[in-house]
Amino acid sequence: MNRAIRHIALLTLKDLRIEARGRQTIGLVVVLAILIVVVLALGLGPGSGSSGLSATAILWVAYLFGGVLIFEKTMAVERYDDALAGLLLAPIDRGSIFAAKLLANLVLMFTLALVVTPVGIMFFQFDLSVAPGGFALVMAISMIGYAAIGTLFAALTSSTRLAGGLLAMLVFPVTLPVVLVSTRVLANLFEHNVSIGGSGLAILIAFDVMFLTASWLVFEIVLEA
Amino acid sequence: MTGRLTIQDYETRGAGRSLRLATSAETAASSPAVRAMSVHKVLDDRPILRDLTFDLPAGCYATLLGANGAGKTTLLRLLSTLTTPTRGELEIFGRSARKQGAMIRAGIGLIGHQSMVYRDLSALENLIFFGRLHDLPEPSVRAMDLLEFVGLVDRAHDPVKTFSRGMVQRVSIARALLHEPRLLLADEPFAGLDAPSADTVERLMAQLNEQGMAVILANHDVRQSLRLAERVIVLRKGRLVLDVPSGDVSAEDVLAEIDKR
Amino acid sequence: MDSATSKLISRLYWLVTFCLLVAVTAMMAFWTPREETMGDVQKIFYIHLPTAISTFIVCFVVFVASVMYLLQRRSWWDDVAFAAAKVAVLLASIVLLTGMIWGRSAWGHWWTWSPRLTFSLILWLLYVVYLMIRPSIESSQRRALICAVYGVIAFMDVPLVYLSVKLLPDIHPSSIQLSPDMRTTLLAWFVPMGMLVIGLVVTSFKINRLHRAISEPVEEEVDEPRLVPAGGNA
Repeated sequence: MNRAIRHIALLTLKDLRIEARGRQTIGLVVVLAILIVVVLALGLGPGSGSSGLSATAILWVAYLFGGVLIFEKTMAVERYDDALAGLLLAPIDRGSIFAAKLLANLVLMFTLALVVTPVGIMFFQFDLSVAPGGFALVMAISMIGYAAIGTLFAALTSSTRLAGGLLAMLVFPVTLPVVLVSTRVLANLFEHNVSIGGSGLAILIAFDVMFLTASWLVFEIVLEA
Repeated sequence: MTGRLTIQDYETRGAGRSLRLATSAETAASSPAVRAMSVHKVLDDRPILRDLTFDLPAGCYATLLGANGAGKTTLLRLLSTLTTPTRGELEIFGRSARKQGAMIRAGIGLIGHQSMVYRDLSALENLIFFGRLHDLPEPSVRAMDLLEFVGLVDRAHDPVKTFSRGMVQRVSIARALLHEPRLLLADEPFAGLDAPSADTVERLMAQLNEQGMAVILANHDVRQSLRLAERVIVLRKGRLVLDVPSGDVSAEDVLAEIDKR
Repeated sequence: MDSATSKLISRLYWLVTFCLLVAVTAMMAFWTPREETMGDVQKIFYIHLPTAISTFIVCFVVFVASVMYLLQRRSWWDDVAFAAAKVAVLLASIVLLTGMIWGRSAWGHWWTWSPRLTFSLILWLLYVVYLMIRPSIESSQRRALICAVYGVIAFMDVPLVYLSVKLLPDIHPSSIQLSPDMRTTLLAWFVPMGMLVIGLVVTSFKINRLHRAISEPVEEEVDEPRLVPAGGNA
């Protein structure tokens, strides 16, 4: 167990070190996400996002597209020069490779959210002060499930041409329930002051558990292709 | 990861020690490096390898020849446990490739078509990283030893993306040797190298073999293969069609065997 | 079974299916009583419900075939999954359309974000994506693998979609009072619908097999007869 944790830490730090060196992914993703928020803000017109529902929906669009780019980029690192084969040749559990990649993706997604959320809030005059903790918790739980799916499909598509469009196509429909539930839960929280606990949160956690397990199980099969 | 390891550190920590490459005592053990018993590989309903049966003793230098698509790369992937046989039994040092993949992986090194290292990290960082994945006790010392072996000590801290093709290939060899494998698999290691680099790689591999490491070299150049290896294996359309000591055949015979329809 | 007999059986099968379809349509149109509030539009329900149930079953077939592909890596399973997915999209489209027609006459809008319409839409999207990604992946092995993983994940997603749309405000009828005659018509519809679905999946599967045989012929050798039979892994 200790050994697995050491390997996961080693692999995650390697990804983050490569990212820190080039800062290719995070810069690109943050700018893209801000661009999306601006386009939506201008398209919808001033004042449109002040309700909790539309503000979270707009942020979700930014997170979703930013996420796809993150998953793709962090997996491309493994595909350049087939470094992934180097990992597969090491006597480590393949589950560790999945766990590490997921962690690296989550770190980048949270970084993205940390930058883009204030920007979105500023543009839409969306008042988060009612329940900042609830907002962060719901979004974090949602992103874990999204990242699990994204990490799995990025490993699958990274060796094909057209990987970008393909990854978004695969990941978006599957993630729709997460977006639907988290926006509903947050709308209830901000507009009707309904606590986030309840069936909504349960669905999000179920989504995380189901897809973390499924991705972890399937990942090894995927890598041996 | 660790703090930066400078060349000075390395020198004080024991440069010039003899480099351990293969654990020769183990190599002498009775089990052959490779034992394939009627191995089949079917990919997507297509037979890629058909009924391969052969033995390679520990410490031998074998070369794998065949036209494009004959199954050389697939065989090397099988031997490195990146994929498993569809039917038949494959043993590497007496261990079943199907069941004991992780243990086998600890004893083999693979040099592939691609370098299998991270281009954004330095040569040293790459080697230390992979060394740790292999649970080496002193990954940084080992990494510097190997960089010296492949002649890249002065470029240890440069990112791999700044390297020439030949230098990348040498990093790739160092990566394959990190965990002191007993069997080295090389998939066309000379492809795309200029003459001096190819010569260096050729010499490195011969040196490793002399120290007791079994080497399997997949190659296009028949004459070079016959010169280097003691054993020749020819694949055609996924079947083993020739398996002889290299002294017993001429290049013309081998070429004819590769091309035969 | 020689090809002439199998052709005869398949023609007979389709003939029976067609006759039964005509019969239940006639039954629905002329024999079944009109529902009071909705009128004739209510009769679309007899098509809607059996189609919806068949959709789930066919999606389950995609799931099972995908799991089997992941375990065995034989193109046979990929062809089954693809065939079932095509039928799933067809059925989901019918469910969506009949649902929209119903909604138009019941609530006056073609589209409302009611939980069930939303559910049908997401289900339809999930499996349309399955079909749409296939042509964009060149390697047949890669395509089969990606689609198999997607087929598993998409099916696992279905109950979550179902639970999550329930958070939307509902105006869909949750249960409909059916007279005994209406119930008979509904049950009668399941028979040709089931036959149609099975026939479509099987036919589509056969087409897939033929298509694969044409596009990726297994290399035959004349001089050496020891060819490994296709997919013959132990």
